[in-house]
Amino acid sequence: MVNQPLAEAWPRTRPAAGVLRARGVNRQDGTVPPSVKVSGLTRRFGDIIAVDGISFEVAEAELFGFLGPNGAGKTTTISMLCTLLSPTGGRASIGGHDIASDAAGVRRKIGIVFQDSTVDERLSARENLVFHGELFGMAREDIRPRAEQLLERVELLERADDTVLTFSGGMRRRLEVARGLMHWPSVLFLDEPTVGLDPQTRRSIWAYARSLRDTEGVTIFLTTHYMDEAEACDRVAIMDHGKIVALDTPERLKARLGGDVVSIAGPDNAALAREVRESFEIEPRLENEAVEFNVERGGDFVPVLLSRLESQVQSVGIRAPTLEDVFVSLTGHQIREASFSQEDKFRSMQQRGFRRMR
Amino acid sequence: MTVEQATAVGGARVGAGAPRGETGRAGFLQVVRVIWMREVLIYFRDRPRMISAFTMPVIMLVMFGEGLGNSIATLPGGIDYRQFIFPGMVAMIVLMNSVFSGVSIVTDRQFGFLREILVAPVSRSAICIGKISGGATVALVNGAVMFAIAPILGIDISLGVVIKLLPLIALVSFMLTGLGVAIGSRLRSVESFQMLSQVAIFPAMFLSGIFFPINNVPAWMDVLVKLNPVTYAVAPIREIALSEQLAEIPADAPFQITHVDWYGYTLSTWEEIGIVVAFGAIMLTIAIRAIRTTE
Repeated sequence: MVNQPLAEAWPRTRPAAGVLRARGVNRQDGTVPPSVKVSGLTRRFGDIIAVDGISFEVAEAELFGFLGPNGAGKTTTISMLCTLLSPTGGRASIGGHDIASDAAGVRRKIGIVFQDSTVDERLSARENLVFHGELFGMAREDIRPRAEQLLERVELLERADDTVLTFSGGMRRRLEVARGLMHWPSVLFLDEPTVGLDPQTRRSIWAYARSLRDTEGVTIFLTTHYMDEAEACDRVAIMDHGKIVALDTPERLKARLGGDVVSIAGPDNAALAREVRESFEIEPRLENEAVEFNVERGGDFVPVLLSRLESQVQSVGIRAPTLEDVFVSLTGHQIREASFSQEDKFRSMQQRGFRRMR
Repeated sequence: MTVEQATAVGGARVGAGAPRGETGRAGFLQVVRVIWMREVLIYFRDRPRMISAFTMPVIMLVMFGEGLGNSIATLPGGIDYRQFIFPGMVAMIVLMNSVFSGVSIVTDRQFGFLREILVAPVSRSAICIGKISGGATVALVNGAVMFAIAPILGIDISLGVVIKLLPLIALVSFMLTGLGVAIGSRLRSVESFQMLSQVAIFPAMFLSGIFFPINNVPAWMDVLVKLNPVTYAVAPIREIALSEQLAEIPADAPFQITHVDWYGYTLSTWEEIGIVVAFGAIMLTIAIRAIRTTE
């Protein structure tokens, strides 16, 4: 799994102060309303509660991530915020526009990149952008220069006049990001933006999203079940079974776990776990065919551990905690169990252009 | 000061791409135009679709006109069968193109593009009217091509008549595309659209007077013919196309070859057009409803 590269390749950046000021945002005076404001938002489908009274706020120009397994309610939440689905309870507003009473106001403020491709394959890249611009009531004189600028940004200018049918999955995604930003939205929603893409393309999608955030001060709200993507966000809301179980910066979420993750494995993991529990008063987890637990200063702890254990130990590992560990400790199950599902495989095939054969 | 106000007051945003004009809400007609544009653009890029749309009626005209025409006794007023069937063929090509163009809403849904349209802050009616106008334009162009090739096929039709017919054909196209979009807006797969539209088109085609005069059929068929909305579209097209020849039919002919007869009351061309308009309005309403309740 490519875990670190994403965060390393694209170190956390901030939009230039001037960008925010030009958008009327001044972080100093403290009067800036949050870009996205959600309180008690709920959505039921019959007896099932897909989203269960969630509340949170997202600041202007923040890179905000929703992390959770498939079916956690991420897409349902985004659909409600984008006014595609009406909530059954609670309120939410975007840029001061209420999602229930002012859907048109919300729609003007937001850009959306859906989980599945929604570009028109029979039109060229440029035509897709122009169509979008006209539909969103952009001024005539703005449409073509803006399309040009965004196509250049996502490195599609050379292919601007080719039909999208000839594009690879990554190119289509880039085009969708560009299209989502066409009408200068203040919030860009990315629903699983990189599912089914290769690591290199994933990184480039992130780079574009980042650079556009930094130069235009757009708030980015994304959902993901990839840990590395969540690590690259300013703040992450961890979602499971329709509820937000934690919301903080990735660093603070990881710091909550305390110390390092130590994992040991042997022929009888159950016995190892029992010994760890009894002699160190630590609650271990049985995971990845190993016994895992968190301790302060794992490096100093391991020699002590090994000297006291009676069961046979075949391997030892020490690592810094990841968001995956945070997720496991909060929910009691792993996020990857359901992550690369059949659905993902099908989607990645589609992205590569197999969809045409349907 | 809120972000809203500041953006409104300050106006300028950063970068080379800052908007110069007002980014507001697209007007109704602008939306209709952009949706219409896309439909037409996609059609003219799809060569095979264009070619097949043109060849089909020519084949039909030749087959029916030459084959059937020779064995059919001359119609009242001495009207040649080929002359009679030509306006019917125009109606048929318009019918097929119009209804099938409703498929675009199904493909848009299947390929996700419909969502891109539906998240825009625009009126659903404008989306619908744009779609219908797009399909209707395609149908109209196909119908117009028939007039262009008419002389080659030996059909006698004057330019004046063609000019009179075009607005009527545009109207009929709009009504029938409305039917196509109304069907398409409720369906999720292209296959089911094709099945359903065939089921709708074929009876409508054969029971509309495209191939034979409507006032010379058995009683049971007569009822179906009169219930068929397409009948009221075919009749005025033929009445205008054959206006000169029809005038020569004697009043005491065994049957009149056109004008829908409601058990003693003969509808005028304008009354027939009125029914077309009413049917079109109903289809438009259904289509808009369906789009509104989508997602």
